[in-house]
Amino acid sequence: MSDNNYIVSKEILRERRNKNIKKHLTIFVFLLPGLALFISILIAPIAVSLYRSTFDWNGFSEGTFIGIANYVELFTNGSIKFITSLKNAMIIAIFSVFIQLPISLALALLLGRKPKGEKVFLSIFFMPVLISTVVIGQLWLKIYNPDYGLLNRFLDFVHLSQYKHVWVGEIGTALGSIVVPTIWQYIGYHMLLMYAGVKGVSVDLREAAMLDGATKWQVDKYIVIPIIKPILKVSVIFAVTGSLKTYDLVRILTEGGPFQSTEVPSTLLENMLFLRNRYGMGSTITVMLIALCFAFALLISAAFKEKDK
Amino acid sequence: MEMKRLVSTVLAGVMAFSLVACGESASTAPATDSGDAAPAAEAEAEAEAPAEAEAEAPAAESAASGEPITLKMWCIATESDSNRHAYEAAIADMQAKYPEITLEWEAFENQSYKTKIKAAVSANEMPDIFFTWSCAFLGDFVEAGKVYCLDAAYENYKSELPEVMLGNTTYDGKHYGVPLTMNIVGLFANMDLLKEAGYEEIPGTYEEFIKCCDALKAKGIIPFGCAGKETWCVTEYLESVIEKSAGADALNDIFLGRETWDNADVGAAVDTFQKLVKDGYFDPSGIGLTNDEVKNNFMAGKYAFYMNGTWNCADFANNAEFFPKVKVSEFPVINADKAKLGQLIGGPSDTLAVAASSPNAERAADYTFELGKLICHYGYLDGCGLPAWTPYGDTSSVNELTQAVAEICSNADTYVLFGDTAMDADSANTYLSYVDQVYGCQVDGEAFIKGLAKDIR
Amino acid sequence: MKFKKSLAYILLGIWALVNLFPIYFMFTFSLKSNDEIFGKNIIGIPKDWLWSNYVSALKTGNMALYFANSLLVTTLAIAISLMAALMATYAITRIPSRLNKYTNAFFMLGLTIPLQASIVPVYVVLSKLHWLNKYSTLIVPYSAFALSMAILICTGFMVDIPIDLDEAARIDGCGLFGTFFKIILPLTKPAFSTVGIYSYLQCWNEFMFANVFISDSKHRTLPVGIKALSGAYTTDWGPIGAALVIATFPTLIVYVFLSRKIQDSFIAGAVKG
Repeated sequence: MSDNNYIVSKEILRERRNKNIKKHLTIFVFLLPGLALFISILIAPIAVSLYRSTFDWNGFSEGTFIGIANYVELFTNGSIKFITSLKNAMIIAIFSVFIQLPISLALALLLGRKPKGEKVFLSIFFMPVLISTVVIGQLWLKIYNPDYGLLNRFLDFVHLSQYKHVWVGEIGTALGSIVVPTIWQYIGYHMLLMYAGVKGVSVDLREAAMLDGATKWQVDKYIVIPIIKPILKVSVIFAVTGSLKTYDLVRILTEGGPFQSTEVPSTLLENMLFLRNRYGMGSTITVMLIALCFAFALLISAAFKEKDK
Repeated sequence: MEMKRLVSTVLAGVMAFSLVACGESASTAPATDSGDAAPAAEAEAEAEAPAEAEAEAPAAESAASGEPITLKMWCIATESDSNRHAYEAAIADMQAKYPEITLEWEAFENQSYKTKIKAAVSANEMPDIFFTWSCAFLGDFVEAGKVYCLDAAYENYKSELPEVMLGNTTYDGKHYGVPLTMNIVGLFANMDLLKEAGYEEIPGTYEEFIKCCDALKAKGIIPFGCAGKETWCVTEYLESVIEKSAGADALNDIFLGRETWDNADVGAAVDTFQKLVKDGYFDPSGIGLTNDEVKNNFMAGKYAFYMNGTWNCADFANNAEFFPKVKVSEFPVINADKAKLGQLIGGPSDTLAVAASSPNAERAADYTFELGKLICHYGYLDGCGLPAWTPYGDTSSVNELTQAVAEICSNADTYVLFGDTAMDADSANTYLSYVDQVYGCQVDGEAFIKGLAKDIR
Repeated sequence: MKFKKSLAYILLGIWALVNLFPIYFMFTFSLKSNDEIFGKNIIGIPKDWLWSNYVSALKTGNMALYFANSLLVTTLAIAISLMAALMATYAITRIPSRLNKYTNAFFMLGLTIPLQASIVPVYVVLSKLHWLNKYSTLIVPYSAFALSMAILICTGFMVDIPIDLDEAARIDGCGLFGTFFKIILPLTKPAFSTVGIYSYLQCWNEFMFANVFISDSKHRTLPVGIKALSGAYTTDWGPIGAALVIATFPTLIVYVFLSRKIQDSFIAGAVKG
């Protein structure tokens, strides 16, 4: 009797184990395409970069191990401009968070009040997001052109010629010339994200608050904004990590100039690889970039958590 | 007739330079780089020319004809490039002569091509034939074993292509490149504007030159146009100033890594250059422009002077309205104790090379030589530069500006190759970065030489 | 009150203008000659409608080919990432396992990893495999980078499907695969357009990979094509304008007709993610 029992339970166990194996096998099969893509294109390359960042390596030869020398040179070599590039990325991030996102939020809140033509405005505001950054860069290049550009000619037209600049060519204005289209293009993106949140706030809640005598502004401030906080967090993370990744507009508007004052980490990375044949150093910049992106993402998440308390 | 003589003297001048240019990667570098070498070089070139050329020619014919193949070529002769026509004409000729060889060619914009070709080399994805700059640029690829050695194919073309012209593409005694044209940095001047300031000729001394700039400024004319968006354009000015202050030999030694950058003469020269910038001789809006835009401005009469490669002669000659106004000259000597006239920046740099990975490398090599000869021929006729190959046919149609350049070269003493070509990629970009900073007045001469001495590895 | 309201309209109106003007400017200068652009008529309607600029852009600039390339690369990248994401999400959300939490977190790393991170090693590997200058050279990395966002969105949609459905299907004799294809896929259809839009935004505009990995003009995508064309026509604005219009207007026209649906899909992503 007890023997029998033992056999039965063993069979159940085996069956369960088989089932378990089968289940995990299925899971694995379902995950396979995603994992294969993800690991081969993202995770493995990062591991390789981490390894290669300790080499003096030109891409074709074997390379020599040099420890952290690349990391040291990144900060000490006067021609690499890594610190400038970080500073620029930070400035773009600051403008994104403190200028771009507030504008997006304001637009989202305004549209959330159901003005006439809400949908039309929404459609128009989202348009720049759909346009390729390269197109936007070319377009703004025509706006900034020192001789024939719209901006300078507008200044002439309103008799403010003294404010004319070589917008993308002067140290004082070049970075600004990159920041403006960057911010402009993605206001619509964040606006639509936030608008989604604003629309998610129930009408009853709004009306109840209005009945209690709250102004529209108070409703927005005390009810809507706290509710859409998770979306705001996502927007801030995207804006900051996006700023660290800036590349297209710099390549097209300034090529990192004048005098390398508008280099960003990505343009430096490209220079290392293709102008200087320094793949090891390129890997070093990559590692720094990833580390920064993660650090900021964690920091921002922590900041939002802190506020919640 | 006169032209021919001029050219042969040009070649001799180049010889002196070629010996020093890239040789150093091959054992010890010969230090003879003064004008003394020139006569010897001329003699040598002439002596070598007839030897064994005739005998080899038929062999080339037979090697070239064979089963149909397709060759791929990359170059930088984009629609807006002054060499475009020369390439098109040469390729058309080649296609007619070798119908069994299909050439698929593509042109890329200069700056992005540098990226592209390096990427392709490290990936072993090179086209069969590729455009390259000589010296260090090609040297990196040769060192990595990615370039096909052209010694065998060269035997067939010895009579038409003087060996001295291969100096910049010779590594460890082996030839790896087919030179096309050679160019120097010229001081182009818009004589209409100079006349407005009361000058009939381009001033010959530095003091007068500066006075001329001041006079131009007083008339509201901008003396120099320079594309700040492309740093190599700044080096066209800066290198001339350094060479005419510290001397050609000093600059050559530094570019080739025989001496350190920490050289007080160079520092002083950089300060001289920076003074030109600070005194407002340069168009401030040039910082944000590309070279094409600056060149157009110059042709439109916005600047009095434009220092750039002599390949521009072609574009100037093609602009009927502008051409009568433009003259070319050599940058004046700044410090007569160290430098003298005849010390020029430039040399043969535009080169075609064959990929070692090409499945048809042998036939591609012959094809490249013939193609190079034709591109050189048409390019010279168009005024894109002086020929690296011995000119043939009727060259009387060559524009006067190019002839003036040939005249300058015939009096050449020493050539120093463009810095960013002479140095390896990493050093060249470190150098360009510092040049940029000098142009932006972010570092002075002292910081420039100290910084480069520290950062060039 | 009324003043405040009109102020709001003024602000919205100004911002609408700021968004529309560049598009108008682009369209008009694409039809002008340099004389008009550099002369008096900077922002007006073109006097002579120079359609020849479009001929230049299409002929010399090859814009039609680049457009087709972009379309092909983007569509396939979206399709691949969507399929991979749906499968992965299914495994994560609907097959109970202790590892699910970690798998999900692992995929979410991708949201913060910059595209640039993998350019060096991927480049070296692709080149060793002779895998440059093909459509797949771009499609594979693009789908990998779109994956994390796609999984995030799909998760939002999939958790809304009641688990009872799976169990019912299981009782009917469907295996895990059967359930996925017969029950889950049809029910997550609304996610397709949402994932599609987010991935489109990522892939259509991508410039760095396209610039580095593709060197022959046959496989160039729009952004690289425009950069190349603008290098060739630095001083001739008309053809550049035409190229910009060709690159932009088809998308904008589709958007005008489907804006409602596109916005709703985008919003769905924000809410579910």
